[in-house]
Amino acid sequence: MIEINGIGRRFNTRDGGSFEALKDVNFSVNDKEFFSIIGPSGCGKTTLLKMVAGLVKPTAGSIEVDGTPVVGPGDDRAMVFQSFVLLPWADVLTNVGFGLELRGRSRKESREAAAPFLERVGLTRFSEHYPHELSGGMQQRVGLARALAVGPDILLMDEPFGALDAQTRQLMQEDLMRLWDQEQKTVIFVTHSMDEAAYLSDRVLVMDTHPGRVREILDVPIPRPRDESVRRESVFTELTAHMWHELRGMMGDPTAPAPE
Amino acid sequence: MRGMSAKNRNRVISTVGLVGGLAIWELIGQLELSPAFPPVSAVLAAIVEVWTSPRFLDALRESLISIAIALPPSLVFGIGLGLVVGRYKPAEWALDPLINTFLSLPLVALIPVLFLIFGLGRGSILATIIIYTFFIVVVNTAAGVRTTDQEVVEMATSFGAGESQIMRRVVLPSALPLMFAGVRIATGRAIRGVIIAEQVIGLIGLGGLVQRLGGAFAVEDLYAVILFIGLFGLVSMEAVTTVERRALPWVAAPEDNEPAFSGA
Repeated sequence: MIEINGIGRRFNTRDGGSFEALKDVNFSVNDKEFFSIIGPSGCGKTTLLKMVAGLVKPTAGSIEVDGTPVVGPGDDRAMVFQSFVLLPWADVLTNVGFGLELRGRSRKESREAAAPFLERVGLTRFSEHYPHELSGGMQQRVGLARALAVGPDILLMDEPFGALDAQTRQLMQEDLMRLWDQEQKTVIFVTHSMDEAAYLSDRVLVMDTHPGRVREILDVPIPRPRDESVRRESVFTELTAHMWHELRGMMGDPTAPAPE
Repeated sequence: MRGMSAKNRNRVISTVGLVGGLAIWELIGQLELSPAFPPVSAVLAAIVEVWTSPRFLDALRESLISIAIALPPSLVFGIGLGLVVGRYKPAEWALDPLINTFLSLPLVALIPVLFLIFGLGRGSILATIIIYTFFIVVVNTAAGVRTTDQEVVEMATSFGAGESQIMRRVVLPSALPLMFAGVRIATGRAIRGVIIAEQVIGLIGLGGLVQRLGGAFAVEDLYAVILFIGLFGLVSMEAVTTVERRALPWVAAPEDNEPAFSGA
């Protein structure tokens, strides 16, 4: 279980003041849960994810994974990035094995250990290609395989499909859901797509902005396994409509009713 | 030229340019406007004789020995210092003014100083090559380090990389393209440096030979040596480029390759 306890984050500004990016954020994520965080730009959702990854330190509160405080990156967590962040000088298989290499395995061992994960994302025949030879969707599959290869309990995904076109995005969502069904890992998934959050998640945290804080946590009462058709079910459309109502209020849309 | 590949067409145009230039040179030479411009045919005739003469080969050996002694350590330490200066801000603040001063100084002005320190011999020539090449390697390597994508650093950190792993596995490969550019430029400058130093200080090596041939008004022979120096520089830099292409297959490719595969 991941517990976020009273997290706050202040940044110092140039004029000597400070700016509160996150304020008193409390929630917890259950084991093997698919948990999404959605919110307008600047609400601090990526900062929050990086705190769980151990890349950013909170200025208030604490984060615990199974009772152990997070003080830095750890073997139990692996991250998938919006812009893929592959090594341009390494071929696909070396990229997938990169996390293992950083954990002390040799290049050869890492590549061998990486191969089954590359197969899991369907890119075995591209193992010796360079990232620039791959489409965005394929690059993100490599990013996902790299994260899976280190065998984490928790996958931290920062708008992983945000840089992809709509069709690719939908395919990737379906593939991710299928993979998650097999892997049974805890996922924290940051997104700005309401549709994506509703389709993939067990629960969705809607964040408020200025300062970033929890607005509400929604259950997604759609049984699994889910397929394309759930997007047309009324429970799905009601959920996304509700999210949209909440979010447009925060985005300063004058035609929206004021959030109560 | 229809039906020709772009590469072949470029080669044809280069050849036309070269032949045209030589023809103009020949014409000016034949007009006997000045003893400084012998016809190209006379120079080409002198080449075989000059390039195989013991005097030339000795001079060439001297120059090559100086480059072989001075250039490798200059590259190694230049790359080392460049990595530090590029990665650590205090080192950058401390050394940037010094490095930029050396890069903008007309180095010929320093040669008399080197002469005072190292005397009238190879020491001064080696020192000249080093100051001609060291700082350009530092600056290019440091610039290469600064091109490191901070997101890749963050990614590596998220997978548990420490500073030395980030340096070796992220920063160093990121810096390679500009580092190679520095090495290529330094190779050209090493040749320039050795010739100038030999002319001013040593009167040995190819620089010394150029000086003596000039003094003796042996203009055709002089051009033969100068042509050799020019060609040698060209071939050396081309060799660095070839190594670079082999070593960095990911660098040149994105420009002439659209993604080879599409779809998810």
